[in-house]
Amino acid sequence: MDYITFQNSITDYLSENLSIAKKEEFEQFLYDYPQHQEEFQEAKLFWDGFSEEIPEPTTAMDVNFYTMLNSQKEKESQESIFTKIANLFSGNLIKQLSYTFAVLAIGFFLGKQLNSTTNIPEKTIEVAEKETENVRSQLVLTLLDQPSANKRLQAVNEVQKLNSVTETIIKALFSTLNNDSSVNVRLSAVEALANYTNIPSVRKGLIASILKQDSPLVQIALADLMVVLQEKKAVEPFKQLIEKEDINESAKQKMKESINRII
Amino acid sequence: MNTLSDNSLMLRVKAGESHTLGLLYERYKKRLFGFFYQMNKNASLSEDLVQNVFIRILKYKHTYTEESNFISWLFQIARNENYDYFKKQKKHNHDDFETVSYALNGSDSFERNIELSERKINLKIAISKLPSEKKELIILSKLKELKYKEISEIMGCTEGNARIKVHRALHDLREIYLTLEKR
Repeated sequence: MDYITFQNSITDYLSENLSIAKKEEFEQFLYDYPQHQEEFQEAKLFWDGFSEEIPEPTTAMDVNFYTMLNSQKEKESQESIFTKIANLFSGNLIKQLSYTFAVLAIGFFLGKQLNSTTNIPEKTIEVAEKETENVRSQLVLTLLDQPSANKRLQAVNEVQKLNSVTETIIKALFSTLNNDSSVNVRLSAVEALANYTNIPSVRKGLIASILKQDSPLVQIALADLMVVLQEKKAVEPFKQLIEKEDINESAKQKMKESINRII
Repeated sequence: MNTLSDNSLMLRVKAGESHTLGLLYERYKKRLFGFFYQMNKNASLSEDLVQNVFIRILKYKHTYTEESNFISWLFQIARNENYDYFKKQKKHNHDDFETVSYALNGSDSFERNIELSERKINLKIAISKLPSEKKELIILSKLKELKYKEISEIMGCTEGNARIKVHRALHDLREIYLTLEKR
């Protein structure tokens, strides 16, 4: 190594940019020519001039860094959900179609699920309806006991609103049909009972009621009903009524026609 | 000790594993702090700038590639951070002789100043008078990991050019120092 190379290598040596071989060569030169030590030491002084005491960073720096990092992680996790959703719809056509169907299927089952959940209120509606029916039945029974014919008429009309009748209602209706003082109320009772002719006891009761009726209007109404029902068991009571003396002629005529139509 | 290379850690950060940045922070926080502290002599500000470097890393992680050299990339960011900060705060011109000498007198105790030889004081003043880019070059060159190759990557020049720049910086420091001695 010559002096020029030495001079040019001082900075490289200080900044550790020399290869091991060149470093050794440099150190050997300095050893061999101690007169150049001063020049080297001067350069080293400048170089080391930068090696001042550097304070330790405080823990606040760490705290700030990790706070920043955590908020970044939170932000990324939120972003990743959105990007995942976005990526779902950015594939090829088949991929997009399959996702569309998947979304539709989810929608369908979700809808179904929602419907089934609405069944719960339906049950409550059923309970409420049952309660209404009970109240209405009670109302019918109460109204049928009222002295006012209008109220009793209203009671019979209320029966028509009932979805199902109890035995008590039927009995009350028959009691009205057979005993009520008002013809209109009794006629209404016939109409009301006509709705429950599928119940054998109602049919029997109606037939039994024929002989108890003194009002020609009720007799005619029953005669018409029996024709509709084609109730052969009603023929005999009608025949007995016809034979009675105090029976209205028109009613007799109607009953005769009915008997013929039943047969 | 470091089972995972800086490069692989940074690539993981790039892939979305932000928590890995913590390892890189622990590896480089002191060196970065030292770099900033030597540039501005302000510990609190240096801490803020270290923080900003890592924010920039997350912001620009997409620019990092497998071929990148992490330490060069890191100090490139640090250098930009330092430059941008002082560009914004022009009034904090640390190249100004009066400011720095005041700062030296203000920060060091009187007794300590007495202890420092005139030579050392002159050297400190000379360093403070050295243009920021040259000062930066010497500070970076003093880091063991940074050879001319890395310096060239940080400065955006050729390796040979980086070598010349470091040589010139040290030469200029000597010139300033000699001028001060002549006074």
